[in-house]
Amino acid sequence: MPKLTIDGKSIEVEKGTTLLAAAQQLGVYIPRYCYHPKLSISGNCRMCMVEVEKAPKLLTACSTEAAEGMIVSTTSDKVKAARRDVLEFLLINHPLDCPICDQAGECGLQDYYMDYSLAPSRFRMADKVRREKRRPVGPHLVLDKERCILCTRCVRFCSEVTKTSELEVMERADHSYIGLKEGKALDNGYSLNIADICPVGAFTSRDFRFKSRVWFLKKVPTVCLGCATGCLIEAHHNENIIYRLVPRPNPDTNTWLCDHGRLTYKSVQAGDRLSKGVIKNGLIDLEPALREVASRIDEARTSVAILGSPWLSIEDNAALARLAKDGVKTGSYCFDFNSEQGIKDGILINKDSAPNTSGVKAVGAAHGGIKLAELSRRITAGEIKLVLTEARAAGLIKQALKSAGTRLIVFAANRGEIPPDTYATLPYASYFETPGTFINYQGLRRRTEPPVKAPEGVKPLWAVVNKLAAYSGDSLRLESAEDALEGIELK
Amino acid sequence: MAFILSEEFKARAAKICARYPRADAALIPLLLELQKEAGYVAEEGMDALAQLLELPYSRVKAVTTFYTMFKREPAGKYHLQVCRNISCHMAGAAGLLDGLKKKLAIEEGETTKDGIFTLSSVECLGACGSAPVMQVNEHYFENLNEEKLDALLEELKHGRLPRH
Repeated sequence: MPKLTIDGKSIEVEKGTTLLAAAQQLGVYIPRYCYHPKLSISGNCRMCMVEVEKAPKLLTACSTEAAEGMIVSTTSDKVKAARRDVLEFLLINHPLDCPICDQAGECGLQDYYMDYSLAPSRFRMADKVRREKRRPVGPHLVLDKERCILCTRCVRFCSEVTKTSELEVMERADHSYIGLKEGKALDNGYSLNIADICPVGAFTSRDFRFKSRVWFLKKVPTVCLGCATGCLIEAHHNENIIYRLVPRPNPDTNTWLCDHGRLTYKSVQAGDRLSKGVIKNGLIDLEPALREVASRIDEARTSVAILGSPWLSIEDNAALARLAKDGVKTGSYCFDFNSEQGIKDGILINKDSAPNTSGVKAVGAAHGGIKLAELSRRITAGEIKLVLTEARAAGLIKQALKSAGTRLIVFAANRGEIPPDTYATLPYASYFETPGTFINYQGLRRRTEPPVKAPEGVKPLWAVVNKLAAYSGDSLRLESAEDALEGIELK
Repeated sequence: MAFILSEEFKARAAKICARYPRADAALIPLLLELQKEAGYVAEEGMDALAQLLELPYSRVKAVTTFYTMFKREPAGKYHLQVCRNISCHMAGAAGLLDGLKKKLAIEEGETTKDGIFTLSSVECLGACGSAPVMQVNEHYFENLNEEKLDALLEELKHGRLPRH
């Protein structure tokens, strides 16, 4: 275990620790462009150079192993001069188009220039090397070769994380640029991570570009519900609009975030977002829709079936269970989902596309219910007159519903989710609009924090269920989401 | 447009690969072979080579484009490659290059209409001691000055590659 001194503070670190990591443990920040904790070390940007006593030259902190007795300085005049020089070098051919650059505000060049340089340029604008700008590469990214500092984070990401190796540094010296095969798209399912790790404005997200300046964005830590992996994310929003989702790196689940997960917020702001009920194909105000659904349920009563959903939170599933047991008082309710879980692609995407299969199990354990196969059998046998469930969960009993012609009533957030031949649809607040508890494939509890408000009049699903019961003259006494959790054991 | 590596090339490639512990180590020798066959490395050739060596296409392209020794389009009969690195530059390579541009009426990277000369500037040829240096196809011409260059061009125009 080597012991060393960094800026006068001594520390003992594991063998093999780099100077940069050791400094980080001490809370000493060393600037870097090419270094990324989850990628291999490249040592090309030279921004992290530090002075080590007795070493003839400055050393790159990212690639130098800590050794016994090293005396390191990150603040000496030599280091400061080196940082200034590296920045001047990186900025020689930089187009300085910050006013029209989407990276402005979270740009490594801007930030470090302010922190470590502040020197005027000695190079004429006219002498700069010009390169291709705003080239769309694949469905999610735009590449600006002029802004690139050739740190190769994107190259290493594609070869080490996705193992698709689309990107490389082509040509050499001041001809170099990041390139990929002519006519090939950069679309590997994780490409938006490249926009995140690009320290400058070379790779920007086609989805987020020019939608908002980053300094206007507010950040809420929440959870991705794109699949059972349950990645931790941050939603960036402003004035009730979500602009992007980015990963919140954590040791348990994720460093990155897949492209599918990043775009899940789209449905909240989509044109087909439901703020009213739907009866057959006609939009109808929420109150009459609720009254209609309640009277259909009253008609059918014990031949009503209620199916939970792995796409809903534990609270909302529990509310449905309470409705079945204490409201409708039917025996045909089901909280039994057994999708196979596990990482499908070796990175993040789960075999189970629903976020809460494990969480629904806890509801089933507390409230009982029948198996999914038994529910299908009862529907097929014609014992069920009406099924109440969530739109995507209805897909799991599609065959049975079709063969029996059972009346289907669903909860849906978007019109596009509603299955064909649905009798009635009730809107509910999505988990970007209301908190919810989920359990991911690892058994970890995940809680969503809502960045935005639901459309006017749209309530969380548990509240809609509570109201539905009230219309039928039953009281479930669900005043809050927590009320629904009563009797459910969560680890 | 399918580019197919000849069986003969593949046999040679197998022999070359056998000399190296890893496939990617054989990349440069195989690119040289490819260039020997056609006079340049075609885009489709890079693709075929990537498949043969089971390397990503981007890797092959990156290596090919890094080295100025690999030509990416057919060149003239004589490929004039003027060193542009520091020793040659200080010994007047830039002036020689400008002179060639004027005399041949072409820019860097272009070929004369008669297909005899292609002009490029290249990175260090490793002959700094006898700067300025120009490489013609496989041959070095060292300690150049304007007169020597004119004489050389004259010989080359008549299809003679002088001793050097």
